[in-house]
Amino acid sequence: MMQHFPVLAIFALFLGAFVSSLIRNKTARNGVVVLSVLTSFGLLCALVKPVMLEGEIISYWLGGWKPVADYAIGIGLEVDALSLFFGLVVGLAVIVSALYSFRYLEYDDAQSKYYTLYLILGGGVLGLVLSGDLFNIYVMVEIMTFAAVALTAYRNFMPGALEAAFKYLVIGSIGSTCILVGTAMLYLQYHTLNLAQLSALISGTAMPSSILAFGLLIVGFACKAFLVPYHPIAADAHGTAPSSISVIISGVLTKTGVYGIIRVCYCVFRAMDQSAVQVFLVLLGTISMFVCVTMALAQHDFKRLLAFHSISQIGYVITAIGLSTTFGLASGLYHAMNHTIFKGLLFLCAGCVLHQTGTTKLDELGGLSKRMPKTCTLFLIGAASISGIPPFNGFASKWLIYQAVYQRASETGNLFYVFVVLVALVTSVLTLASFVKVAQSVFFGQLPEKLKDTQEAPAAMRAPMWIFGGLCILTGLFPAVVVNYFTGPAAAAALNAGSYIDAMMGAGYAGRLSTVPVTVPALQINTLGFYDPITWIVLLLTVLLAFTIVSLMGGRARGARIQGEAIDPKYDTFFGGEAGEYSQVGGADLFWGFKHNLRHYFSFMHGAHSGVVNDYALWGITAVAVTVAYMFLFL
Amino acid sequence: MILVNYIASIFLIVLGFYTLIFKTDLIKIVIGLGIVDYGVNLLIVSVGFNPGGTAPIFTVNELDPGMFFVDPIPQALTLTSIVIGACVTALALSLVVRMREEYNTLDAREIRRLRG
Repeated sequence: MMQHFPVLAIFALFLGAFVSSLIRNKTARNGVVVLSVLTSFGLLCALVKPVMLEGEIISYWLGGWKPVADYAIGIGLEVDALSLFFGLVVGLAVIVSALYSFRYLEYDDAQSKYYTLYLILGGGVLGLVLSGDLFNIYVMVEIMTFAAVALTAYRNFMPGALEAAFKYLVIGSIGSTCILVGTAMLYLQYHTLNLAQLSALISGTAMPSSILAFGLLIVGFACKAFLVPYHPIAADAHGTAPSSISVIISGVLTKTGVYGIIRVCYCVFRAMDQSAVQVFLVLLGTISMFVCVTMALAQHDFKRLLAFHSISQIGYVITAIGLSTTFGLASGLYHAMNHTIFKGLLFLCAGCVLHQTGTTKLDELGGLSKRMPKTCTLFLIGAASISGIPPFNGFASKWLIYQAVYQRASETGNLFYVFVVLVALVTSVLTLASFVKVAQSVFFGQLPEKLKDTQEAPAAMRAPMWIFGGLCILTGLFPAVVVNYFTGPAAAAALNAGSYIDAMMGAGYAGRLSTVPVTVPALQINTLGFYDPITWIVLLLTVLLAFTIVSLMGGRARGARIQGEAIDPKYDTFFGGEAGEYSQVGGADLFWGFKHNLRHYFSFMHGAHSGVVNDYALWGITAVAVTVAYMFLFL
Repeated sequence: MILVNYIASIFLIVLGFYTLIFKTDLIKIVIGLGIVDYGVNLLIVSVGFNPGGTAPIFTVNELDPGMFFVDPIPQALTLTSIVIGACVTALALSLVVRMREEYNTLDAREIRRLRG
């Protein structure tokens, strides 16, 4: 009975996609959508006890085509704790985003097409993480990319939506092509597409074609995770898609890339003991986190800024994964989960602002905390989480990642890892800085005249956001529970390639065919321990109290209050008579001094992200060439 | 000669990538995507080719261990890949049509509202 659950969870979404397009009645259609996402999530939740807690691995052969003479001939689904972990994250995000979009899309036409594509997108992602077949993974990658491209262009009246979708399609195709060629190369060498069988056959052999396949698969999944240099398409697509889709693209599609990299590196090729692969992944993650956070600082659009932050946080995840320790992997997965939660919450906040005011331009917004206090609360929770402020979840997982990297540095004595810790800390500070900027220019500061009549976002939109908001707090307060029951087992499953193979191909298969025995290292978490939420709350309260007392003791009121209308300087001397453009802060930015000092870097980056699809294609293809060359040089 | 197929497929993939990088006309970029796809299809079909093998069409009773035929799985993969390639082209062209209406140009250097 249990082994049918994964395939039913996938088909609940695909079936919902087609049934919902047949129903004209809006309420009934929304009911079908909710039913199909809840069914899918419920089926996955039923697997938590056997797979996560008891360590069982569920294998399923589509059509009952079991292996013949030790060769996999059918398409298999295989669910271990790693797949289930990603499946649960995907299922949760799909539910929240669906509930949110019912109200969010109330003014849009063609809604039935939206929900069809939406459920196909969810089904494609779920199919990818639960699949045990390399070609099936490629097909699911294409399904989800198509649905995501079409949904990016869903609001084709938004300036830039079509352009973003086209760039996403072209650059995404480079990644898909890499995955397909990698698959063909593996088939050429080993004559199978099953992940478990490939893992058993590849172990220890370093043929040229399998090295080529390894490089191509890594770069293909990195493209799906939008790592540098594929980040510009992420910014375009997240920025122009409807917010409910930005949640999926940022929180879920990037996770498929992360899942692919983990599965390929740890399980299929078992290449993580090579220091060249470790350095490659850590370097990729470090560059991604730093480049994207500096790009985010320079943005003037709410959603585009969030998009760059999204890739920056994925950089943390990839860095932690590249450490090749159980602890690093567990903390990376923890951050991946947290990223879906807090980034989803922030994109939904941006959606509320767009829904209520009609714009996401930071220069036109301001002072919305007075008009939308409840949305503002949610935004502050999300912003505190992503910036790593205790007691929210971003801090808990970043703290573990710093520890994991530092532990690695002290073990190997390699200065490179010390440098990585430093970059990670600087990135976290810059993240906080840019969220101070967003909070200042959207929710605080002065309310522009145009936005005087803004209403609070409807409760139907805020209720799903509280699911994410509550999880931000819960997963931040109990890091030990999350690591011990969710990410720890998932990390152990990723490292335990032997039982992954045996579950699929029959007991003893790995022992017979693998030349390299599989050793599973124990999960060592308590090197420095988790942070203690209570201590941090006490510390925060103390600082806050001190700050309040000092503020109250000073007699002068802080801040200037302008009485009546602000004086328009357009008739002053030396002004040409044009109305002055309203701006929250002098120099249009809170950090203009910082940006002025680093103006050469920022103007170079601005010029490099030219928006021409050919330039991005050049970056993408160069990345393919560099990765493959690197793998051939060092493996 | 199977080597010719590999050389041709690599040539097609490189030609397609060249088109993606250097041609600024959106239609040509879509054609470039198509060429990459043809190259990959040729590569996969060549992977399953056995010189001298017959077509892999049998019923269950006809199979016996001494038979020599080309590998059917890459052919199935190629069919899937062709379908996906056609979908990419169709979706990309439909986006190009709408972009021509909105931007009144097909030059990639002018379609850059999202940048920086």
